[in-house]
Amino acid sequence: RGAEAAFMLPAVCARRLMAEIQGALDACSERQRQLERSLRVSRRLLRAWEPAGTPIPEPPPGSETKEEDPAPACAQSLQDLKELELLTQALEKAVRVRKGMSSARQRDRTPSLTSASTVATAGSTASAPSQASRQAGNRASARPTKGTHQAMDPAKNLPAHKLLSVRSKTPVGAGAGTTKHEPGLRDQQTTAPSAPPRTTEAFTLKEKGLWAQLSSMQTSDSTDATRAAKAQFLQKLQMVSGSSRPSAAEIEAEARSLRKACALLRLRMQEELSVAPADWMEEYRCLLTLEGLQAIVEQCLHRLQELQAAVMGGLPEPCAAGKATQASLPCGSKADLSWSPQLLLYSSTQELQTLATLKLRVAMLEQQIHLEKVLMAELLPLIRTWEPQGAPWLALCRAAYSLLCQGGERFLTILRDDPAD
Amino acid sequence: MGRRRRREDRAAGALPEAIAALSRSLPAGPSPEIFRRAKFDRPEAAPALWQLLFRVLSPLATDKTGATLVPEFQVRLVKSVLRSQGYPRSVLAQRSEGNSQSSRELLLALSWLLARGPLLEQLLAQSRVQLGDQVSLFESVVLARPGPPASCMEIEGPVDLHQVQWLMGKLRIRWRQLLSSQQEHCSLLSKIHLYTCGSHSHQRFSHLSVAETEMLRDPDNTQQLLQALECENVRLEAALEWRRCELVFWQWMDTVLGACTPGAPAVPSQPLTLPVIPERGLGELELVAWELQALQEELQEAAEPRRAAWEAQVSSLGRGPEWITARKTLQETVEQELTALQRSWEQSGGPPQLQRPHRLVRSKDGTPGPQDLQAAEMIRMLRTQEASLDGSLRQLQDQCQQELARLAGTLPGLIWILAPGH
Repeated sequence: RGAEAAFMLPAVCARRLMAEIQGALDACSERQRQLERSLRVSRRLLRAWEPAGTPIPEPPPGSETKEEDPAPACAQSLQDLKELELLTQALEKAVRVRKGMSSARQRDRTPSLTSASTVATAGSTASAPSQASRQAGNRASARPTKGTHQAMDPAKNLPAHKLLSVRSKTPVGAGAGTTKHEPGLRDQQTTAPSAPPRTTEAFTLKEKGLWAQLSSMQTSDSTDATRAAKAQFLQKLQMVSGSSRPSAAEIEAEARSLRKACALLRLRMQEELSVAPADWMEEYRCLLTLEGLQAIVEQCLHRLQELQAAVMGGLPEPCAAGKATQASLPCGSKADLSWSPQLLLYSSTQELQTLATLKLRVAMLEQQIHLEKVLMAELLPLIRTWEPQGAPWLALCRAAYSLLCQGGERFLTILRDDPAD
Repeated sequence: MGRRRRREDRAAGALPEAIAALSRSLPAGPSPEIFRRAKFDRPEAAPALWQLLFRVLSPLATDKTGATLVPEFQVRLVKSVLRSQGYPRSVLAQRSEGNSQSSRELLLALSWLLARGPLLEQLLAQSRVQLGDQVSLFESVVLARPGPPASCMEIEGPVDLHQVQWLMGKLRIRWRQLLSSQQEHCSLLSKIHLYTCGSHSHQRFSHLSVAETEMLRDPDNTQQLLQALECENVRLEAALEWRRCELVFWQWMDTVLGACTPGAPAVPSQPLTLPVIPERGLGELELVAWELQALQEELQEAAEPRRAAWEAQVSSLGRGPEWITARKTLQETVEQELTALQRSWEQSGGPPQLQRPHRLVRSKDGTPGPQDLQAAEMIRMLRTQEASLDGSLRQLQDQCQQELARLAGTLPGLIWILAPGH
């Protein structure tokens, strides 16, 4: 009983442990920052279609027959949105009843919106009016279907126009009415916004040629003379510079590979041990496999010792920034230069969310496994060597159990079995 | 005589042109004059080359970071990354002076990087202007730490274990937050794709990405984007030119190497500033060693008694010819299986197809192209991966539980009550 004593981790152990955990926390924060940046951008863009205060639940596109059930995680928010929509509709009805005039005006605007939507041509971009009142009144009809297009603020069209004339030297592809500069607002709306994607397409078409050239140059490889000259240079540099040791990048790659090996070997061992052999042949086969696995583990350990020796000799200096670089500059032979974008096709919001969630969960599990191993390596030896008496040891055991066996989520209780009671 | 002179002149002109092309294709590429001075180890050439190497080696460096970061940090980072990439020359690492030295060494380091692999192409691919919503399936959140150590805690002395528990709890909360932000992001992306349906003229999809939508909304953004594309085109053209005429550069680098003083130490002496305490690099190996040793013990425990039992009864089985052939076949089969097993972890992780970023596209029934991926397939794959990782984690946790039970069992007079629901 009494206050639980604290267990103090020795300094060296603490430093390593804290560094690992802090690294994990930093990685998460960085990811969160990036996500929030993207969220801000997306929210800002969506405000044009969904002005603040009147959030529209996801609009079904024209050809979509039925929207799937939302994932449980966002069911709550969708529920809220639906309720909010009902409430807003009720309020609007009340408003309409009281202000007959304004509703008539709103109804007048509806035909213009739908006629704008019929102007829709394949490939051109137009924008729907984004004014709040119109939006509120016509939400039912303004629900964006596949054919509806959204108009930009007329004021913004003008610079786009200028863009078109300035860039006229670039081969603008045949688009919907790119040369029509008539004063009608609707025409402006349909033609001008197509300028930026067209000019970008023009640039990207030129780029496509360049990337393709660079890529083919890579695959056909440079001339023999160049390759030879480079190889010779590398060799000479190596020779005059002294002994080489494996780089930290290589060591890490080997460590990863050995880790994979360990997992696969263990799996194989468990498979063998889980089946009771039926006859002497199977028994023999099982024995041979186990001994074979032993031999491989020996080899791995031997390789590991070599790597450890190399590290001790040179001590490649670790650096947080260096880590990130290694990931991005793989010492491969080819870089990926394919121009045509490879697509990842998804068919519904839920599918996209599931995909993203799974991706995160896999990363999370990998991190958890790594931390688990680090904790095991730091805490278990302490428990083994610590004097098993007194409150601190109990505190250690309790914390270790929670961290190692329950992912830090649950705790166990220790009671003293006092014969005096 | 005259012909040779003309050839030499042509050759003399080809080198600066090649170097100029190289420079144009690199971020922060210095002038050919800098390269020439570096050959003679002139100090004024050093800062530009440090800057260049920093930009090349640090994926997070942009035009702005270069200016704001202290030069010492640039120097340290360049040295550190070169070391970790296995750069054989230790001269650079040993010199602890500031960044006004070693321009020739920097030139050699740059050439080493260029000769080893397609550095230019990799840099270009990395900094590519992407208009789509890019998704990459195998980004690892675990090991990627941000650039300069933002939260570099100096831990002195012992630490309360409670703090560790608290930090782990904090980590769990951060993950939950990430998951929910991610959900929201997906729903917003999906809406944008839906709202912009019909606005894109691509043959296989018709909606815009976030970047493209932004472009439409904001013409200034468009200008920026077009400028970025123009810059990229300039670099691409320069890279192509470099690939055509780089031979003359390598011939020249041979002379640079020759100009180095032959007094470079054959045995690298102790590097100057290194922590004695083994950090991550050694830690990884230790972890694997520990795992492998545990596995070795288990295998020994399993195999030894079986071998003993086998030896005891093998004599009673006779030594007929079928017996010998049967043994031989079994040996060969097992050998083949184990070799295959060994090969399976020597392969690099994940098919390269999946490592490239893909453009996220909403498509109801579109026929996927040859290099396209479909979300449903990816989900299946990720689910399998998740299940396997979950299994590994549980296995580790079980191992710990057994070990702790064993250790705690040595202490009588205590009752351990496990958490409910376990």
